[in-house]
Amino acid sequence: MEQELQVLWVAVTAYVLAGVFAVVGVVLGKRPERTVLSLMLAGLALQALSIGLRWARLGHGPFITMFEILCSNVWSLMTAYTLAYWRIPRIRASAAVVMPLMFIMLGWLMVAHPGEGHYPPTYNTPWLYIHIGLGKVFLGAVLVAVGLSCVILLRHAGIGLQRFAQLPASAQLDELAFRCMAIGLIFHTLMLIAGAIWAQDAWGRYWAWDPLETWAFITWLTVAFTIHARLAYRLSPPVHAGLVLAVFVTAFLTFFGVPFISATPHQGAV
Amino acid sequence: MDGAVKRNGLAQAASGQARTDSSDPTERSSAGGRLVRRLASLRLTLALIVLLGGGVAFAYLREGARTWPLVVPLVLLAINLMAAVMSNGVFRRQTALLVFHLALVVLLLLVAAGRLTYLNAHVGVTEGVPFNGELSGVDRGPLHAGALSSVHFVNKGFHIDYAPGLQREATRNQVAWQGPDGRWHDEIIGDQKPLIVSGYRFYTTFNKGFAPTFRWRDNQGNVVRGSVQLPPYPMKEYSQAAEWSPPGSALPIWVLLDIDEIILDPAEHTSFHLPEHYKLVVRIGRERHEMHPGDSLQTPDGTLEFEGLRNWMGYRVFYDWTLPWLLAACTVAVVSLAAHFWTKFTARPWDA
Repeated sequence: MEQELQVLWVAVTAYVLAGVFAVVGVVLGKRPERTVLSLMLAGLALQALSIGLRWARLGHGPFITMFEILCSNVWSLMTAYTLAYWRIPRIRASAAVVMPLMFIMLGWLMVAHPGEGHYPPTYNTPWLYIHIGLGKVFLGAVLVAVGLSCVILLRHAGIGLQRFAQLPASAQLDELAFRCMAIGLIFHTLMLIAGAIWAQDAWGRYWAWDPLETWAFITWLTVAFTIHARLAYRLSPPVHAGLVLAVFVTAFLTFFGVPFISATPHQGAV
Repeated sequence: MDGAVKRNGLAQAASGQARTDSSDPTERSSAGGRLVRRLASLRLTLALIVLLGGGVAFAYLREGARTWPLVVPLVLLAINLMAAVMSNGVFRRQTALLVFHLALVVLLLLVAAGRLTYLNAHVGVTEGVPFNGELSGVDRGPLHAGALSSVHFVNKGFHIDYAPGLQREATRNQVAWQGPDGRWHDEIIGDQKPLIVSGYRFYTTFNKGFAPTFRWRDNQGNVVRGSVQLPPYPMKEYSQAAEWSPPGSALPIWVLLDIDEIILDPAEHTSFHLPEHYKLVVRIGRERHEMHPGDSLQTPDGTLEFEGLRNWMGYRVFYDWTLPWLLAACTVAVVSLAAHFWTKFTARPWDA
């Protein structure tokens, strides 16, 4: 366990350095984009190694304990953002907002207990990987939307007008955030379907109003509401950005809060 | 057309009718159009999504009131969508988006049909004894047409390993079942791999235990074989007792399984198995007896012979014919949604 934790620490250090470079770059008006991208990729590779070492040691993937769920979510969120950072160069300055958001989760990860948990028999199914993988793509898409939305809101509040000048206009950021939300809706829908198939296999019902199922559906409704609201009211970028943040908060509570306060089959306690 | 309008106008003037006269087809049609446009409003969609969110929260918090808080907003959303399809040409032109929303309506109708015809129940089946169609804890839709009499299967035993701490691992239950052609088939099922016969799905559960098996000969010479399912093991390890009466007799017989060994050691990797060292304590009135396999007991109503111990497995029974159709509707919905956004987003580059 020591080795995998040491590798994880180095990965976290790479993420923190990437974040520091991103923030300093925006503050000083510099563009250390290659350094930031390299550090993000290094962090991802090292964290993947750490997860792989733990997976090989325990014989199951990172989805049982709080430590494992946080660790895998940090990895998937970083992957989603790194992909956006690489493929859409014009939004790279948003890393100065997204990386500090990631620091919160990294801090939580570092204080979580890395002990192992029980792997229930109902988790021994390919649907687990499909369900979780789809959920991670959803959360990753929403994270990118949140980064863009935070920039819109900061600009609207008169903060960082000069420093975020290298980013496109708020209307374009808003369109990109909308696209991310649309991708999020597709993957969230897929996640619900895969989860229902797994639940049918695992517990003999595709839906049973357990807390995580209910909250996941409420999250789906918030995404649907945000998309329809933008169309119905032709929302201004700051208002749409506020709704995107609301979706992220709901999704965060669903993914990270509900599984740890409920005693339902979703915890594997059967 | 113009002539018709003029004629109507003249008729109105001649009769002195108010402009809101509902007998005017043109007026009626425009009033209907306005109603459809109002029903098709995206703002109404938003309000209904909020209403559905409230209904979901209500359904989650109030288990006993899960129908109307969900049905009302869902039906209103379906009406809202149908109105949008009728009145909004843009909506109709975006075929993929239209298909997505229609798939959601089909999904809704299928869920409704499923809720009317579903069945949820439990049953315990003793090893080697055919399933007799008797269920417990039955919860069914009002229109469930039971075809359970066509289900024939036998529990042929199971294997369950336990990790230290009595953590149950996968269940492998061998069953034999009879197909529609009358032929018997063997299959291994488990918690996640049901036996599916005539649309009924039988999933193994954590409920399982021991079943003393008896041969009962009444005073008229009739012989019946049967078993008594004791409470689940290891969940109720310390209350392995049950009371019952033999067929055709009102004699209350209380039995207790007294196991003289550790079946599942919490400190070790173990497997569920029948005990080797045990005795059956039998109480009839004030009399107490101890029985081992092969022992007989004379009672006022007949002779009870203890044949031995078997396992029983508790199954969860689930029936919902809509499952494959639900999956198909979900697939159509997601594919059409993805196609809609794909078409929309590829028209302009992401890094524009």
